[in-house]
Amino acid sequence: MLKLLSLTTAVIVWGALSLTLPHEIFPGPIETARALWGDIAGGEVWTDLTMTLLRVVGGPVLALILGVPVGVVMGLNRRAEAVLDVWVMIGLTIPSLCYAIMAFMWFGLNEGAAIIAIAVTAAPSITINIWEGVKNVDTKLVAMARVFEASRAVIVRRVLLPQIFPYVMASARFGLGIIWKITVLIELIGRPNGVGFKLFYWYQLADMRQVLAWTLLFTIIMLLIELLILKPIERRLFAWRPQVAI
Amino acid sequence: MNPAINVESLRKTFKGRDGTSRAVLKDLDLTVAAGEFLCILGPSGCGKSTLLNVLAGLDTVYDGRTSVSGGRIGYLFQEPRLLPWLTADENLDFALASCRVPTSRWSELKSRYLAMTGLSEYRDYYPHQMSGGMAQRLALVRALCVEPAILLMDEPFSGLDEITARRIRADLLSIWRETRKTIVFVTHNAYEACFLADRILVMLGGAFREEMRVPIGRPRSFDDPAIFTLSRDVIKAFDDEIGREPVQSAIPVAEPSLIDNLARHAAARMNI
Repeated sequence: MLKLLSLTTAVIVWGALSLTLPHEIFPGPIETARALWGDIAGGEVWTDLTMTLLRVVGGPVLALILGVPVGVVMGLNRRAEAVLDVWVMIGLTIPSLCYAIMAFMWFGLNEGAAIIAIAVTAAPSITINIWEGVKNVDTKLVAMARVFEASRAVIVRRVLLPQIFPYVMASARFGLGIIWKITVLIELIGRPNGVGFKLFYWYQLADMRQVLAWTLLFTIIMLLIELLILKPIERRLFAWRPQVAI
Repeated sequence: MNPAINVESLRKTFKGRDGTSRAVLKDLDLTVAAGEFLCILGPSGCGKSTLLNVLAGLDTVYDGRTSVSGGRIGYLFQEPRLLPWLTADENLDFALASCRVPTSRWSELKSRYLAMTGLSEYRDYYPHQMSGGMAQRLALVRALCVEPAILLMDEPFSGLDEITARRIRADLLSIWRETRKTIVFVTHNAYEACFLADRILVMLGGAFREEMRVPIGRPRSFDDPAIFTLSRDVIKAFDDEIGREPVQSAIPVAEPSLIDNLARHAAARMNI
């Protein structure tokens, strides 16, 4: 209920602000929604949206594949931590635009390069999360499991993974936020389709109604993913955690 | 009858960061008879937890010989060490599954020990929804329901308030009377040791310094003056030991806590 109210407020604020500028430059919510509806009815939205969503999903998958093992190794081994620490910091510092340019220059203007650029941008922050998670593993619980004769596989599956999982989940959610921003940027410079491409296209035609319509579309989709997929998963997985009262 | 635990010249050294090594267990010999309730009493840092870890098989790097026979080992830690993402019931299942207890026996074992400790109503609670005393009782249930022949306990009640600790100690004694497990109970609390044990080994600086039998009949009452008198003697023996050996500086000085504990007990006895 409160959420709905705050959402409505946001739309009203948007409408009010849009009155301060000519509507070709800053269209209001109704105008934007109408343009969006036109795009959806025209049917051309889906290809671009699907391509972007594929990249938004494919990027993190590759990023997890790269980032999780490094994070685990860093959490377990002090020497690896000392060596890789600097690498992760460098990886985190380099702007995503650089990764995108390098990927397109080295691997060509193709889908693989786009996904690699997205993954490499997201991987360092995933690594940092997992590293933190592995370091915080409660070894006392591991000792407990060993006393109860638990096998190594059982310890990993039932004692270690549940402790690391919140960190994986946090990095996935956190990652999604960054990733979609990078994806749009990468589409802008190197892909012939996708939301980023469309944004740039309409920007060049100076059609602000369409620019905002596409932004709105993607925001809605991301909110839906967050509210309908990630939140429920999280609620189910972490039902055991106590509520923090401050 | 074969002893349940037999330890011969057990030595364990830890290497410090500066390369010097420090002996934490110095040629320990220990025999515990099956069904015996042994308390190992000593200040923190005296090596008693290290000894338990060796007995439990958690620590495998040592010199000397140890043998534990008669069946499975149960271990009750100082903290409950429950898996926070599992309910009380699921925590017990985890232990039962890990120890490969046949599934057909689970519900009988769980109900029995949950009932003994008064936790039957709390099966669906998560650990964070329980008080410290309940969580530690659940840990006791978990240790018992895999039916160990030997129960190792590492200061299991030292983190609890005195009233709760008393109740669980009484639970423990009645369970011990029924099941006749071999129990090795480590504590820094002289009064607790005198109340629980058949025999007390006083440990200081990685070695046993004194052995005492507890000549008090069972069932015992926590308020028995004989226990109080005995515990005073035990502490006195401690003071003598410490006085005799002034160079034990490597061990963190925690002896005052023994006296504190005793004072607290005396206070508790007067209040309740």
